[in-house]
Amino acid sequence: MRKNPFLYYGRKILVFLLSVFLLSVAVFYISRLAPGDPLMSYYGERVEKMSVQEKAEARDKLGLNDPIYIQYIRWLEKAAKGDFGISFKYKQDVMEVISQRIGFTLILGGIGFILTFVGALLLGILCAWNEDKWPDRILCSVGTLLSCIPEFWLSLVLILLFAVNLHWLPSSGAYDIGHRNDVLNILRHLILPLIIVVLQHLWYYGYMIRNKLLEETRADYVLLGKSKGLGKKDIMFKHCLRNIIPSYISIMAISVPHVMGGTYIVETVFSYPGIGALSYESARYHDYNLLMVLCMMTGILVIFCNLIGQIINEKIDPRIKANDVVETSEVTRT
Amino acid sequence: MTEEKLFTVVGIRQPPPAPPQKVKRHKGFPWISAILMAAIVVCCLFAEVLMTKNPGYLDLQNFSVAPNSEFLFGTDTLGRDIFSGIWYGGRISIAIGFLATIISTFIAVVYGSVSGIAPQWLDTLMMRFTEIFLSVPGLLLVLFLQAILGAANVLTLSVVIGITSWASIAKVIRTEVRQIRNSEYVVASRCMGGNFFHILRKHLAPNFIASIMFMVVMNVRSAIGSESTLSFMGMGLPLEIISWGSMLSLSEKALLTGSWWIILIPGIFLVTLLMCLTNIGNYLRKSANHKESNL
Repeated sequence: MRKNPFLYYGRKILVFLLSVFLLSVAVFYISRLAPGDPLMSYYGERVEKMSVQEKAEARDKLGLNDPIYIQYIRWLEKAAKGDFGISFKYKQDVMEVISQRIGFTLILGGIGFILTFVGALLLGILCAWNEDKWPDRILCSVGTLLSCIPEFWLSLVLILLFAVNLHWLPSSGAYDIGHRNDVLNILRHLILPLIIVVLQHLWYYGYMIRNKLLEETRADYVLLGKSKGLGKKDIMFKHCLRNIIPSYISIMAISVPHVMGGTYIVETVFSYPGIGALSYESARYHDYNLLMVLCMMTGILVIFCNLIGQIINEKIDPRIKANDVVETSEVTRT
Repeated sequence: MTEEKLFTVVGIRQPPPAPPQKVKRHKGFPWISAILMAAIVVCCLFAEVLMTKNPGYLDLQNFSVAPNSEFLFGTDTLGRDIFSGIWYGGRISIAIGFLATIISTFIAVVYGSVSGIAPQWLDTLMMRFTEIFLSVPGLLLVLFLQAILGAANVLTLSVVIGITSWASIAKVIRTEVRQIRNSEYVVASRCMGGNFFHILRKHLAPNFIASIMFMVVMNVRSAIGSESTLSFMGMGLPLEIISWGSMLSLSEKALLTGSWWIILIPGIFLVTLLMCLTNIGNYLRKSANHKESNL
């Protein structure tokens, strides 16, 4: 059945916009219903010395006194003009705070993402090729062990080993003071966080590839190929692999948020100045404006990647219906 | 009817009844993991017997002491004995793991069955929601929720972890329920006026329990992992409530002094337990479906 492309993409875009809108409402409400005083993050310790009247004035000035929906509409109006307010904690424009830091997260997440998925594909093929032989067994046990280790603890152990005891690599930050533009310095600081980001997800996807490939090798067409005299290599790469690649690509698309989410914790452990550590701080200190934008960015990324995943699925592999995308990633994740 | 037979079967002789087939399980039950896990759990349950010190006591003269004969695993930066803390804190870590899993499984069972039984449009809507929920990184969600909620205790932490980790189980249950919801016995039960929970308990649950068992075990694992991560980042249990996670939250300081035991020892226990759970979970999954390769 041929679809009208305008209608097709139009619907997708509409769903996208609607989800983003609902998301913004939800985040806005939840963050404001939570206990805790945003004045604390704006004025810090000084809050305790302020009189009741001063506090009321301060709230008024920051627009915290109105009902939530009015605050939301006001936020929406400003946001439409590109003004997301100032960060209570940093006393700077939210976008400015974020733009100083987003680069590091993108580098960490981007390189991590590529390495993870290339590595996972190779590992998965290697395992499936040697099913139940020693390379497969060793990789499976090492991989299971790795996937059991919480990423913060692995980070700590690596810091302990490479930074504290061996002094090979720096333990925190993204660059040494005064080396902001020194690529080598930045790379040196990138190594440990990157290892963690990659290791954390590598086996999850590698194992997925392995299992998908093994599932394929149990299909009937493999028997046909074999009886027609095809070699193992041909069957594996020309048939089995080809069959799983479409779903792998769509998994890659919907996994972007997960790899990004992984960087958030790593950033906190390594005090890496990216937006992960920033969003954690903003949630903790009730920095509403900052939290709102960061949540929206993460949320939009999630929704967008999901949509891309769906579209890829429907375009590349017509056998898969739109709803199956997530089905493939059912293995529990940490 | 009386004792005498009204009919006798004639014709083809009935084959002798086949010997009851053993349930074929995939070989390789992870004995080592099971025993290790049982050992850790038992030790934590009877922590009082094993403890050599009061785990909460701040021995300010002996802080950051390396393992020796008095402090078997050393002391942390606050002077608490790690050996006692491991058993005492393990109890809380494990409790959170199980509590969170019970909560999430309960939500998943109800949500999944409702979605499975519900009419098409509601089912689509509910599954759509699950998908969105699944695509948000779990730990991140927990982190934000907990950050917003503020101070945590064992119960709130379990609830937060529980309500963020039900989605994948719910999806599996929904698929299973959709397959069996039109079978005769479910319809019959409905006709006889069985309500939703009766059908769920008597007819649906026995069918999907095998396929979610491994996910439930994995959920315990990820709940324990989440607890430690949260506590480590200072969003979970505070220092006074001893758990493996809150013990590890001292490790930033320990890094500065190079006290490896504060970082390694609780971590090794944590990883061992998670590893055992994973092995058992994997065994459950493999025994549920195993097929030979055609290659």
